[in-house]
Amino acid sequence: MSEKTINVEINGRFFQAASGDTVLDVARREGIEIPTLCHHDGLEPFGACRLCMVEITHKDWKGWSGLVAACLYPVEEGLQVATDNDAIAGARKTVLDLLLARCPGSDKIRRIAAAHGVTKTSYKKAPHPTTCILCGLCVRVCAVKGANAIDTSGRGIGKKIAIPFRQPPPDCIGCASCAHICPTDTIRCEDIEPTGSAGGVRKIWGHSFEMVKCDACGKPILPRKQMEYEAARSGLDESYFSVCASCSQAKTFKTIGTAFDMEGVQ
Amino acid sequence: MEEKTMIITPSRCTACRTCELACSFQHSVNGKPGIPRIRAFMVAENDGHVLTCFQCDDAACVRVCPVDALSRDDATAAIEVDPARCIGCGLCSIACPFGHIQHETEDNVAVKCNLCKGQPACVTFCPTKTLEYK
Repeated sequence: MSEKTINVEINGRFFQAASGDTVLDVARREGIEIPTLCHHDGLEPFGACRLCMVEITHKDWKGWSGLVAACLYPVEEGLQVATDNDAIAGARKTVLDLLLARCPGSDKIRRIAAAHGVTKTSYKKAPHPTTCILCGLCVRVCAVKGANAIDTSGRGIGKKIAIPFRQPPPDCIGCASCAHICPTDTIRCEDIEPTGSAGGVRKIWGHSFEMVKCDACGKPILPRKQMEYEAARSGLDESYFSVCASCSQAKTFKTIGTAFDMEGVQ
Repeated sequence: MEEKTMIITPSRCTACRTCELACSFQHSVNGKPGIPRIRAFMVAENDGHVLTCFQCDDAACVRVCPVDALSRDDATAAIEVDPARCIGCGLCSIACPFGHIQHETEDNVAVKCNLCKGQPACVTFCPTKTLEYK
């Protein structure tokens, strides 16, 4: 970890930060709450939701101050940050007001908006309401997995999360990370349990992926395409991915039990 | 700092599962007991065996994690999950050949033994000294 040598002031308190830290990194570390919708520590900051707006100024800036996205703004020596005042509250309310017009059906957005004092939108409701807030978490998690199967397309009001040529994306490995990370459960992923001789199937982005069954209990674990992909990426043998976690644990107990000459290990 | 190791002596274990309970409380979130990172199995009456993460040198979980949420703690040499970085893809729990990583579905994160940052609660509460940390 790099040394913390930069002094920043947040809400009148002084903190030390490392070079490369963002305002959000420092605030979260010190327990100062800044609301976010599109931020995840494991992924690149994106600055899409604009809910993390904070006001910054500096004693050398001759009184200039401005609103910036905390998730993207790198700290610098002597930076003064306010995380809650009327201007910031106004900016956040506008964002939530717009989101309510776009996603009237999302419980999560309604809940967050209500917490900021916005209970109904002052804009015209979107003609085609959606629950997608365009936070881009799905696109970034797909990129970090190395698959890059989905992306955003269009701009302005036409922007959306899209698959190439509206066809099932050829690069999708069926890991469903996009569906798991989606904060508003917009991305559909359906796991169909195996019936009789037919194995499990995962349906996502128009694909039907065949699932690998656990060698021991037969429970579907992950899509075969993902297993092959992850084995190649990590350099591990495919056998690492062919037993589910609970069967692996049972196997370990059996092995150790035998080694210590114990009888009747379940 | 002198390096310590978790030592398990199976012949002393009675499968009383106090370790699981201590672990659950130690890793509770918002007052809710967590998933135990250590498991005791009954072998025969008053005879058990206990297992927890081996903290492998070349760990499969670390190799498969796409966001580097799993890393080795310098002080304890334990592999730790950073819950803020974890994207909950569940790959580490599949890849672990010993089944020592659990997936917490509510928060969508992986959980595993981190030796309680050098003060394992299971060792403190083990009544038969099956678990030792020295």
